[in-house]
Amino acid sequence: MNNEVVIKCENISKTFPTADGTAFDVIADFSIEVNKNEFVVLIGPGQCGKTTLINIIAGLEEATSGIVTVGGELVTEPDPKIGVVYQETNLFPWLTVMGNVEFGPKAQGESKASRQERAQKYIDLVGLTGFENQHPNKLSGGMQQRVGIARVYTNEPLVLLLDEPFGHLDAQTRYLMEEELEKIWRQERRTVLFVTNNLEEAIFLADRIVLMTNCPSTVKQEYIIDLPRPRDITSREFLKIREEISKNLDLTS
Amino acid sequence: MKLSKMKKKNNKVKYILISIISFTVFLIIWYMVTDVFKLVKPISLPSPVKVLESFINKFTVKRPDGSTLQAHVLSSLRIVLTGYIAGSIVGVPLGIFMAWNRKADMFIRPVFDWFRSVPGMGWIPVMILIFGINIASKAAIVFAISFVAILINSYSGIKNTNPVHMWVAQTFGASNKQLLFRVAIPSALPHIFTGLRQGLNQAWASVVAAEMIGSNRGLGYMIQMNRENSRADLIIVGMLSIGLVGTILSFVLQKFEDKYVRGRH
Amino acid sequence: MATSNNIKKKKTKPAIISEDQITKKQSTLYAFISFAVVVVLWQLAVLFLPNFGNIFPGPYDVVALMIKIVKEPVGRLTLFAHLGWTLKRIFIGYIIGAVIGVITGLAMGTSKLANAIISPVFEILRPIPAIAWVPMAILWFGLGEASKYFIIGFSTFVICALNSIAGARATSEKLKGAARMLGASERQLFSKIILPSSVPQIFAGLQISLSASCSTILAAEMVRSEEGAGWLILRGMNTGNMTLVLVGLIVISVTGLILATVMRAIERKAISWSFRGK
Repeated sequence: MNNEVVIKCENISKTFPTADGTAFDVIADFSIEVNKNEFVVLIGPGQCGKTTLINIIAGLEEATSGIVTVGGELVTEPDPKIGVVYQETNLFPWLTVMGNVEFGPKAQGESKASRQERAQKYIDLVGLTGFENQHPNKLSGGMQQRVGIARVYTNEPLVLLLDEPFGHLDAQTRYLMEEELEKIWRQERRTVLFVTNNLEEAIFLADRIVLMTNCPSTVKQEYIIDLPRPRDITSREFLKIREEISKNLDLTS
Repeated sequence: MKLSKMKKKNNKVKYILISIISFTVFLIIWYMVTDVFKLVKPISLPSPVKVLESFINKFTVKRPDGSTLQAHVLSSLRIVLTGYIAGSIVGVPLGIFMAWNRKADMFIRPVFDWFRSVPGMGWIPVMILIFGINIASKAAIVFAISFVAILINSYSGIKNTNPVHMWVAQTFGASNKQLLFRVAIPSALPHIFTGLRQGLNQAWASVVAAEMIGSNRGLGYMIQMNRENSRADLIIVGMLSIGLVGTILSFVLQKFEDKYVRGRH
Repeated sequence: MATSNNIKKKKTKPAIISEDQITKKQSTLYAFISFAVVVVLWQLAVLFLPNFGNIFPGPYDVVALMIKIVKEPVGRLTLFAHLGWTLKRIFIGYIIGAVIGVITGLAMGTSKLANAIISPVFEILRPIPAIAWVPMAILWFGLGEASKYFIIGFSTFVICALNSIAGARATSEKLKGAARMLGASERQLFSKIILPSSVPQIFAGLQISLSASCSTILAAEMVRSEEGAGWLILRGMNTGNMTLVLVGLIVISVTGLILATVMRAIERKAISWSFRGK
């Protein structure tokens, strides 16, 4: 495996002032390195700090202290090379599927023919051929998330940040989407940082799992998952790893 | 499945029939108390037959208020459209600008909040004293009233842009200008249209009010004059015309909205 | 690695996604500054632009007149007595209109039969603005107080009915289904499910119609009256006294703001469980 570091977070902390004037720590001293084409899953309990962390890496929010570099450059503002998929409502409801998928290259002024060709390729890849002219509200939750994935791939980012992308889906669709995402990722390798609170999902997808603590979030432990892909969630090895991590994972809070 | 659909359709027919019956009963009662049993004087409530007759005649007869019905309608429409279009042209961009620009928000908004707490009808005397009794003052009244509703809704539409949409667009490298024109404005369009509809309704009511106070034509003038002439039939004709034209205006705007605000439920 | 020369200059972000929130203190300060600037500019315009001053009195004149008429009567009454009349008219008309409006709206929103019976007449009356009722109100109720209550009442009725219909119709089918499954009767379904879940929307109607009343009162007081804040404005208009018009407008605007604040406090108490109550 290529060991070039693509995402590097050094001692990230984030503190919000609260209404009563005291400081609230969401992220404390968080450091992580993600290698090129590596699939890293951040797993942690609760609602604390994960979306904030993704937004800091994406350059949408500023860390109180610490630095983030992506591809060797310091992140100070959103950049097309960092693609993000959120848990919900990330599609533009006023645009069609095609309009959503071609949004990124269009914003950067790419010609229509070239951007639509690429958009079509990823629409086909996520299995939405024929839905190009539908509006998102006509699609199911799983299909909407496929559009989100096609959209982020079309922009050809260096890294992909996925913030609980399947959190709102029902269990059945969720399994399907996990398999689908894994398949797409094997076809089109990218550096991925994936956030979830579902351990099974994490083990199914990850090269490496980073376990986080709750409020303030920081790294608790890391696990390398070297099971062959695609993984079988009922296999003995899978269950063993699951058992091992879950002992350490406090999802109660 | 098919059966329940049929049942639904039958129910719908049933309720439409009930509506028709209810309305007929309403007309019959009205007819009974006026023409048949003469329980109320025609001067306070004329019979439905008389109202219909006056309505038809009003298309050709100018008396007693000086103009035919269509001349009144056109006169009112001209004023409302002038003021309203001006109100939209200023209100929509200014609302968007206030919501988008922090400095503008901080300084203009307090003044605007004060401006909008003025009750709509309150603009009538102010504008009449500034411009006198003429078309300009009435158009200015319509402008002020529709402008407030349109600006508020455009403003809150932009303010309510889903932050996730903004994040996503930013991560795709959208510039500030693209964020505004490709994300914030499209997502605010339904709000903007709500404002345009509210503004139009209020503008229409304010024209009527302004014409009642000072004018020599228009639907407001028509009902006001006919009160002085004690012609209740023509007052009712005027009121129904006011309601009808208002409904048509809203309907046209709604069609426009349906056509241009797509991708929504 | 992280040297300062590869830190790009940050774009200024638009207000709606700006991170640092403006504190309450700051926004009060800005509001005060911009308000002061407007008042000063207004006064300066009156002092130095001769034409402007002829049409539009300055803030000093307006405040002076306001203070003067607290003690000296305009027409028959002083300022607060006028305000008292206006408040009385608003309250009586508003309460009558709100009660009838909410009941009618809930009936139409809950029962398809009631809706089928009422809606034809309602749909004809609904688009007629309250002001257009002035001539009929005079013919029916004369020039006294009753016609003023009717005009305020009508405007309140329409707004409250529309919002109550929307509230009752928006009741979640899931909730209704759950209640039926648990054996609720139709009457319980209404009182335990539909009514509580319509309350936020009903309050929205009560709030909007209260603000509308403060505008409609001007129309109502156009029916011959000799008292009321609306009458002050009309009197100002008829005598060409812009100062009096502005005093009346300020009085009505402030009254409207106070009424809205009181209403919001009541609403917050009544529906603390709902998102609107937060």
